[in-house]
Amino acid sequence: MRHVIPQATLETKPLSEPVLLILTSLAAHPRHGYALIQDIELLSAGRVRMSTGTLFGALRRLLEDGWIERFEQEDTARQKQAYRLTGVGRRQLELELDRMKLLTRAGFARLRASEAP
Amino acid sequence: MKRTYQFLLLLYPRGHRDQFADEMMDVFEEASAEGRERGWAWSVRFAFSEMTGLVGGAAGAWLDNRRAAAPAVSAQTPARGWMPPELADAQERVDANIAAMVHAIANHQFERARQLSNLEREARENLRVLREKYGDEYGMSL
Repeated sequence: MRHVIPQATLETKPLSEPVLLILTSLAAHPRHGYALIQDIELLSAGRVRMSTGTLFGALRRLLEDGWIERFEQEDTARQKQAYRLTGVGRRQLELELDRMKLLTRAGFARLRASEAP
Repeated sequence: MKRTYQFLLLLYPRGHRDQFADEMMDVFEEASAEGRERGWAWSVRFAFSEMTGLVGGAAGAWLDNRRAAAPAVSAQTPARGWMPPELADAQERVDANIAAMVHAIANHQFERARQLSNLEREARENLRVLREKYGDEYGMSL
């Protein structure tokens, strides 16, 4: 099946790695700050351990852009602020993953072509 | 280390602190507790990453503030590009304080950055008062 790239993909700047990791982590379900740090470490196979300064800087921008929203989540001990994707945030993540998929396919195709006798 | 972290949080703009400081402190404490289980080498890396992350994050927050303020000011400026000298001076003072603060943070002059943060708050309040004063005459909406 031919993969159709939405026009918006071409106009969207690539997301920074912290933003991509945060959106990916929130794609499954909402998380609070510390859970995000732990999940991002897991997602990146231990390569990225995000500092709180980096995490909350990115969260602030994502909240301002309306890509995520904040709400109070009941924890076992106390209430915590948690974050979840908005519709716009989910769409941005889909666009970025489409862009990466396209780039990955093109990269592998060129590698294969260069290896061919 | 908790006190150092609390001190470095003062480098952030007030808006960011009001919104996130308590939460950042909670997350930092949870992560620190995890560090005690992972050993001293991990804890050293963690401490370094947290402190540099905070300084970088504070500088980024101030730059975001500056970028957010710039279009608002230009949108409020009359088309003829002139504003009362008193108002222009106040705006310049806010911009200069922010630039000096970002420079101080980048050079790890945290005490200086904290002093500049207080000055910037006063300058911004002064600017707000002046915008209210001249708002109607220049069509500025606050």
